[in-house]
Amino acid sequence: MSPFLSWIATGCLTALLVTAAACLYRMALGPKAADRAVAFDALANVFIGVICVLCIRWNSALYFDAVWILTLVGFLGSASIARFLERGRVF
Amino acid sequence: MPSPIELVAAGCLVLGTFLMVVTALGLLRLPDVFCRMHAAGKAGTLGVVLLILGAVSALAGTPHDVSIRGVLAVVFQFLTTPAATHLLARAAYVCDYPLSDRTAVDELKAFLPSRPDRVFNQE
Repeated sequence: MSPFLSWIATGCLTALLVTAAACLYRMALGPKAADRAVAFDALANVFIGVICVLCIRWNSALYFDAVWILTLVGFLGSASIARFLERGRVF
Repeated sequence: MPSPIELVAAGCLVLGTFLMVVTALGLLRLPDVFCRMHAAGKAGTLGVVLLILGAVSALAGTPHDVSIRGVLAVVFQFLTTPAATHLLARAAYVCDYPLSDRTAVDELKAFLPSRPDRVFNQE
């Protein structure tokens, strides 16, 4: 872990936190359900990125499984919200 | 002086973070839900893929190698995000979500009529 990459990772974490705040703002603002679902999708992507940067920052692969699991969970969330909006039920 | 692999990782991280910031900007500023999906679907996917590749290249060669899991995550990302965005866009269009005032042409109208009997509580 060089100090160069450590500084880059810290800067990226700061920018990603601002991004997460913007996604939360859109999620609270709405105005309707699909806007919130899109913001949730973007927020899941931001958290995947945060986990990747933290893996570099801590020089550890302990949490990297969360990356691909979160990808699948985010897809299931968006797909079920879309089905619910269109049909009024998920299954 | 950082090594070449570190430069690659740093480039991936900076570019991916930039794309995520662009995604947030699009989410905040674009006028309707379909434009916001355009921002979140494309720039968001590429941004997160670049961040994953940055982590893979930074941890390559150390005892904490994540290349297989990283490639798996990239493949899942490219498989799932277009499908999820398409499902959401279809649901939003069928549920009569308003288009922006500046929309010039609505080509989908002839193929995907709205179903008012299927529109449920959308708040």
